[in-house]
Amino acid sequence: MSFLSGLFGGSPSEPQEPSASAELFGSTTFRSNVTPSSSDPSSSSTAQHSSAPTTPAPTALDTFGTAFDPARLHPLAGLGDKIDFLQLDEEKLNDIQGAASVLPSRGWTDDLCVGTGTTYLSGLVLGGTWGLKEGATRPLGNNPSFKLRLNSILNGCTRRGSFMGNSLGVLAIFYNLANSSFDAIRGKHDAANAMAAAALSGAIYKSTAGVRPALVGAGLMTAAAGSWSAFKNFV
Amino acid sequence: MSHGDHSRDPCPYVILNDFGGAFSMGAIGGGIWHGIKGARNSPRGERFVGSMSAIKARAPVLGGNFGVWGGLFSTFDCAVKGYRQKEDPWNAIISGFLTGGSLALRAGPRSAFGSAVGCGILLGVFEGVGVLMNRMFAQPIPQMQLPEQAAAPSAPAVSAA
Repeated sequence: MSFLSGLFGGSPSEPQEPSASAELFGSTTFRSNVTPSSSDPSSSSTAQHSSAPTTPAPTALDTFGTAFDPARLHPLAGLGDKIDFLQLDEEKLNDIQGAASVLPSRGWTDDLCVGTGTTYLSGLVLGGTWGLKEGATRPLGNNPSFKLRLNSILNGCTRRGSFMGNSLGVLAIFYNLANSSFDAIRGKHDAANAMAAAALSGAIYKSTAGVRPALVGAGLMTAAAGSWSAFKNFV
Repeated sequence: MSHGDHSRDPCPYVILNDFGGAFSMGAIGGGIWHGIKGARNSPRGERFVGSMSAIKARAPVLGGNFGVWGGLFSTFDCAVKGYRQKEDPWNAIISGFLTGGSLALRAGPRSAFGSAVGCGILLGVFEGVGVLMNRMFAQPIPQMQLPEQAAAPSAPAVSAA
């Protein structure tokens, strides 16, 4: 036995590490010194040694030379092909205190879009139901045809639905803008914030009708926001 | 990236986001547009009132039109993605076709088909421009440094010795 076998532990049953990471890290440093030993004077020992199972483990060179494979690059973490979770930090989530919601939010634009979208869609559904009821019960003379009735229903839906959706959507834009501004100013999100934003948005929404309707609108919106906050706390 | 972009929500929820985004865009943009238009069309002294009434009358409607278009498009986009199980420009073109068609449905099948084709072509142009921009502005992938090159500074020292 030469010094080579001493270096490798000498036993032919060299413990093959099952972990790919150990293989990757271990083989890179050792193999480069060992392989050119065919020109050694002690060729007999190398011939004896080559019978040992030294299958060429993947080295760093192999990793860089072949096509990009994230699973091979970082086998320790078991990433598979889900490597773009590493890039989550690009889009930081909203970490303002108390602003956690059903959907993760990435700041005020996300809040605005999702809030307005939800409100608009529910307004559309509500108004559509209203219009459906209206269109279905509108008197159309005696014995109206199906086509007339369908037209009446569709007219009702598109009329009431878009009215309700648009109104609620605009209200939601005001509310979300005010809410995000208050959040940013105060640095946290709570029920008082929501109620203040609701009061402001209700007042703006009804501002052209006069002072009294504006105050009424503000009061109604504040009550709605307060009960919504209480409901969220309760759940 | 292999899994789409993380700047948007996963599919069913992105519809709400798109709905709201399109509605806000339409309503705020419509507010600015009709505010200026209403002020210009009003007689002197009535400009603010005219601007306000124009905004109140028209901005929500424009927002609603935008919102319905965007939300319907997003819904169809999600449906098409779910059905085809891939993400490519054809998704947008197909969903643009469907959106245009369903928005013009009440005007009869002929008109709906025309509108659908128009919307599909428009979205096709958008996607084509997007692909071209991507190609034009794509950075070439930097060559990864090989280990020998990293270890190169030690080599001259060995040869000198």
